[in-house]
Amino acid sequence: MTLTRRRFLTGAAALGAAAFGAVACTSPTTANPGRITLWYTSNGLSDVVLGEAVKRFAADKLTPSQVSGELKQRLLAALAGEAYLPDITMLGDDIATYFADTDHFVDLNSLGTAGVRDEYLPWKWQAGTSPDGFQLGFPVDVGPAALYYRHDLFAQAGLPSEPDEVAAAVSTWDDYFTFSAQVQKKLPGRYMITDTKTVFTYSLAQEPRKYFDRANHYLDDQSQVRRAWDRAVQAFRMGLTAGYAGSQSVNGQSIDRHAAWNSGKELSFVNASWITGELKESAPGTSGKWRVCRPPGGAGNQGGSFLAITKYCPDPHAAFEIVKWLQSPQNQPQTFLDLGLFPPSPSAYTDPRLLAPEPFFGGQVTMDVFSKIAREVQPVYFSPWDITISDTFTDELTNVESAGKDPEDAWRDARASVERLLRRQGVLS
Amino acid sequence: MTAILPAETAGARRAPVRHTADGRRKRWRYLPQYLAVAPFFVLFAIFGVYPVLYSLYLALQRWDGVGPMKFVGLENFAFLLSDTTFWDSIGNTLIIWVMSTVPMTALALLIAVGLNSSVRYKGVLRVAYFLPNVTSIVAMSLVFGSIFSDEFGILNWFLGLFGIGNVDWLSDPWAIRGAISVMIIWRWTGYNAIIFLAGLQALPPDVFEAARIDGAGPVQTFFRITLPLLRPVLLFSVVMSAINGLQIFTESQVLLGNRGGPGGAGMTMVLYFYNTAFADNDFGYGAAIAWGIFVVVVLFSILNWRLVMRPERGQVQTKGAGR
Repeated sequence: MTLTRRRFLTGAAALGAAAFGAVACTSPTTANPGRITLWYTSNGLSDVVLGEAVKRFAADKLTPSQVSGELKQRLLAALAGEAYLPDITMLGDDIATYFADTDHFVDLNSLGTAGVRDEYLPWKWQAGTSPDGFQLGFPVDVGPAALYYRHDLFAQAGLPSEPDEVAAAVSTWDDYFTFSAQVQKKLPGRYMITDTKTVFTYSLAQEPRKYFDRANHYLDDQSQVRRAWDRAVQAFRMGLTAGYAGSQSVNGQSIDRHAAWNSGKELSFVNASWITGELKESAPGTSGKWRVCRPPGGAGNQGGSFLAITKYCPDPHAAFEIVKWLQSPQNQPQTFLDLGLFPPSPSAYTDPRLLAPEPFFGGQVTMDVFSKIAREVQPVYFSPWDITISDTFTDELTNVESAGKDPEDAWRDARASVERLLRRQGVLS
Repeated sequence: MTAILPAETAGARRAPVRHTADGRRKRWRYLPQYLAVAPFFVLFAIFGVYPVLYSLYLALQRWDGVGPMKFVGLENFAFLLSDTTFWDSIGNTLIIWVMSTVPMTALALLIAVGLNSSVRYKGVLRVAYFLPNVTSIVAMSLVFGSIFSDEFGILNWFLGLFGIGNVDWLSDPWAIRGAISVMIIWRWTGYNAIIFLAGLQALPPDVFEAARIDGAGPVQTFFRITLPLLRPVLLFSVVMSAINGLQIFTESQVLLGNRGGPGGAGMTMVLYFYNTAFADNDFGYGAAIAWGIFVVVVLFSILNWRLVMRPERGQVQTKGAGR
């Protein structure tokens, strides 16, 4: 049989159709059938721990896959198409967005969490539980917030500079503002607070309630939000904030802020533990000059992620064993050392490796500060809409700070747009 | 479908009376040709038509990307019409487009005329002018981020040398738009200059010779001869810049983040769509915004089309008046 052009074309077309049909028929639900696929974000899990896990769980064929870009977008696409899904996936601190749709996941309680639950911070464990008791997330890391400050410059200005002294001087936000005004008088042209946004965020993080209660009812009494808002406005009015909000990149990093760290212009800031990596990386010249202490206003948490098992996983028990091992208190210190992800298990805080003096913080054992804060964080319900609502408030605060908007107008506008948004989403009628 | 008709009618004319079975065989004869062009249509249907129709369906739903969709009818569109952020984003997009296109076109013309007159290393210069256009926008936005930084930016340092105070490039609404415009100008000036240069080189030299003999100076020649003759190329560049201008996204996003910066001054239409759909995970409303953008683009295209058609009408009239 000679190969004519017509035969070639029909043959090629038939082959193409066959290939299409084959794909449609054997479309796998999980990304790698026969293997346990784990999706994680860059800097989400320690490579060292993962490497050991792959060896240890060779029988389950653990296949870690680092998702470039936004894991959430890829997960949503996979869930919507119910194809190429991971068996284990990482979820961010917006885990509440999945609470209404837990039918895509496995309730970790059904796999036996009773034995391990007590090893984790109760508020973190609760953050991974939906209002109806479905255990969706397994704790990966937490973000206790502390006050970072420049020890050398405080000492130079003749102010309290040791962590305990500073913590005592800034125990409330009002104290912090008074103290900051003093510092700025002695060290003119420098700032004690990054921007109004951080004041609002970390002040609200200390409250036992945010925008919704656990039954997903919008809290119309927003006195706690108003308190955080007023603090932010007060800091701005006193001229304490630097207002670096404008030059922030998509992942929240600010060129101005990095420069201000390097030049000693930003003397202090309240932030979660995970900022340490960014600080070390972008201001290496200031090594040894920083200290951390208890933040004004009390303990608060910002950020932190989870691991979840999808219901498409053929062997959830094996997947759970992997999750348990990866995030065991024995492995958390390694993750902290590699990536600075703060351990969610109090027993990890006494690991000798984490109690070593840190040269970047002038030999301070920062774990002492952070672990105390982590233990004191109050459980708070984080609703599916919290991030968008927070963004709306902080957008308006930025308008006050850098566009000269009247704070009362800004507050009214923020509340109005939040309510409009919630009405559109069918949360408010 | 249109491509099929001539062949079929040709066959029918050749043999008007035929058995139906034979006719069917005739039709099957073209199967390989159909199959040969099929991949495009199949791919277009999957990746072009289907998403467009699906987004229309999505615009009628409320969907967070995980749970079941909820049909809400035209609610999303009703909300869109009263959404001040959306209207602001259209305004921002148009302002940034004007702020970037006008200086860009002037600059590109200047460069093109310069390149057209005898300059050495013409080839090297052409490549150099084209370079910004192929640079990754993200990389470029990061560089511009450090140039425009409010406190520690290179630009503010440079202005400081001349005793000019700090400009809050990334905080003040107008400065934000200016900063984004500068990035667009930087990216597209070279591209347009090359287009203009091609247009200039296609102009008949005898017209210029005649002008020179008539004693026209270079400025006069430029405004009376070069510009009018270059009109089609200019229009092409304006249309192209409108297409690009309505899609401004990356510059804003990398420079200011998903929320468009202070006062939302850098919030363009596409950025608002992206933020709603992929940051707030409000896919139904995001799809509605996308259709809103579509309407704006259609209106803009009609406007552009009118602009392109007008000179021809004008030419006919002047010709008639001249006779």
